[in-house]
Amino acid sequence: MSHRPRRAQWLLRIFFGLFALVLTDLPQSALAVPSFARQTGLACEACHTVFPQLTPFGRVFKASGYTLFNTQKVTDIDRSKQSTLSLSDLPPISAMIMAGTSDAEKANDPNSSKVSTDFPQQASLFYAGRISDNMGAYFQLTYDDQSGSIGIDNTDIRFAEVANVDGHNVIYGISLNNNPTVQDLWNSTPAWGQPFINSPTGQSPAIPGAQIEGALAQVVAGLTAYTYIDNSLYIEAGVYRSALQGASVADNGNTTNNIISGVAPYWRAAYEFDWGKNSWEFGTFGISAPLENPTTPAGNAINNSLQNAATDRFLDVGLDSQYQFIDDENQISIDARWTHENQNLEASYLAGFATNRTDNFDSANATVSYYWHRKVGASLGLFTVSGSNDPLYLGTISGNSNSSWGMAEIDYLPWLNVKLGLQYTAFMRFDGASSNYDGLGRNASDNNLLYGYLWLAF
Amino acid sequence: MKHRLVAILVAGACLAASLAFAEDNAAQKAAEAKATTTCQDCHGPKGDSMVATFPRLNGQQADYIAAQLKNFRDHSRSDPHAQAYMWGMASQLDDSIIAELGKYYAAQTATQAQSGGDLAAEGKKIYLNGAPAQNVPACATCHGVQAEGNSIMPRLAGQHADYLKKQLEAFRSTLRENDIMHANTKDMNDSQIEALVSFLAND
Repeated sequence: MSHRPRRAQWLLRIFFGLFALVLTDLPQSALAVPSFARQTGLACEACHTVFPQLTPFGRVFKASGYTLFNTQKVTDIDRSKQSTLSLSDLPPISAMIMAGTSDAEKANDPNSSKVSTDFPQQASLFYAGRISDNMGAYFQLTYDDQSGSIGIDNTDIRFAEVANVDGHNVIYGISLNNNPTVQDLWNSTPAWGQPFINSPTGQSPAIPGAQIEGALAQVVAGLTAYTYIDNSLYIEAGVYRSALQGASVADNGNTTNNIISGVAPYWRAAYEFDWGKNSWEFGTFGISAPLENPTTPAGNAINNSLQNAATDRFLDVGLDSQYQFIDDENQISIDARWTHENQNLEASYLAGFATNRTDNFDSANATVSYYWHRKVGASLGLFTVSGSNDPLYLGTISGNSNSSWGMAEIDYLPWLNVKLGLQYTAFMRFDGASSNYDGLGRNASDNNLLYGYLWLAF
Repeated sequence: MKHRLVAILVAGACLAASLAFAEDNAAQKAAEAKATTTCQDCHGPKGDSMVATFPRLNGQQADYIAAQLKNFRDHSRSDPHAQAYMWGMASQLDDSIIAELGKYYAAQTATQAQSGGDLAAEGKKIYLNGAPAQNVPACATCHGVQAEGNSIMPRLAGQHADYLKKQLEAFRSTLRENDIMHANTKDMNDSQIEALVSFLAND
């Protein structure tokens, strides 16, 4: 504990050092904007309160298939004067770099360092913009320094139309994507939910979230159809199948795990009220995911032939809500989500990897963030996960993964596309206990983490 | 020979007129399509915006809308919201679509002011008679007795209160550059702005 003041000073020095570096080394004329802004001619603030949080207009832009453009384009028509080509004159390419440094209260294990610096933590290349008059894509290729590899990150390819039906603005379309809720319009659903960035070295509970809260990200392909009426009512339904990276279900099936059996139905419904400078959304989302050859949080795995694979079934039902107040001076966002997961663990139970045939799991979080002039901001968040007692399945000493933690963050944006942040995460409970949760004397608070980061998008 | 010449001239005039009509018709359709999709996202159906960030355009003067769109397009209007939103939106509009957008919104039913109470009564006095002590002339001289506007002078009646307030403050500080409106507002105090807005707005 005596190291804390020195550590805080050290991290503050780095934080302000990075800040000074940005201020001095980046010329003002190099004000960089990502490809959506270049395509539309709109500044970041049109679509974001502060990136990546969307404004009501940002939601419309996304639902419309990223197709709005205000630049020159290259066109072609056929003999019947139908458009056959409509390319932007500039390719919608963007880049993003995240760098961070973390200092944990206590090292994760006796042989490791409690301090970690990641540069870049992530480096991404995007194709983000229109493909044709009705098609657009958000495609992200990411280098991740923890794995040292480049992989497909979030992807959302859309076809969308806008129609005026009896004075009602009706947007409808199809999304082909690789992460349930990555196509969603609000920041209260998992893929774009809080925290927007965190340390790659932070500890996670045995079950950090329901299946829809990240476990299926980038290992599935989903086709969903949606409509967004009068910028208020949103309805979406579709199905997901497994689409692994670096492996295939077509070969060596008994070495692949957590493969969706058939298809996983997905649904989403939401309603947004807009008044004055305020907007308030509430909604529901969910997925039913039967997973063949499941793995367990304890680290066990069933490796059968996929021809007759044993299956655990997960049903996720979520409720979410988002409130925003946006004006030129003040931007307030409140995001909240509760997800309940019904876990039918028949396969794991019969394999001796679960104590119970069925378990339940719940996760809930709420975050409040405030920005002043989109320049200086602070966020406070509370997160909890809880569920059934199942020592075999979870592999925790307590038999459950009940955890709760809080997060506080301050941000500074010298420009709208440059964010510097300092984030502190404090665990009150971890894997079912506040002290000695691993039986080796480690306390929940030993996972507390101070994290400073630089996030650039250009 | 003379008859043939007249016939050719008449036919030519008819052809030119029909081509011009077709062009106008195409511009009108393009403008309506833009108004009922892209513009509607912020300015609401038929220009009746629900959000104070974006001004109501229903019943606005066609010439004023056209003039502002051209100012956005050539960047001669450069207040922060103009840059953030409208520079991009107006960049690819041609004069014919701009003119038709103006006509489209001018033809929509205007929102009426919802003035009432003491503050609005104070605002009405300033609007109709000015405030000589602060060198504020009568707004009605240019904007009309009913605040309905006139040509490039915008309609003010029924606008969002927050939008009107921000524009008056922006003229006063020259954040929105307009020599006439700066002269008219530079000595205006906050309570006078509040009173005017109370008289004119509908929120």
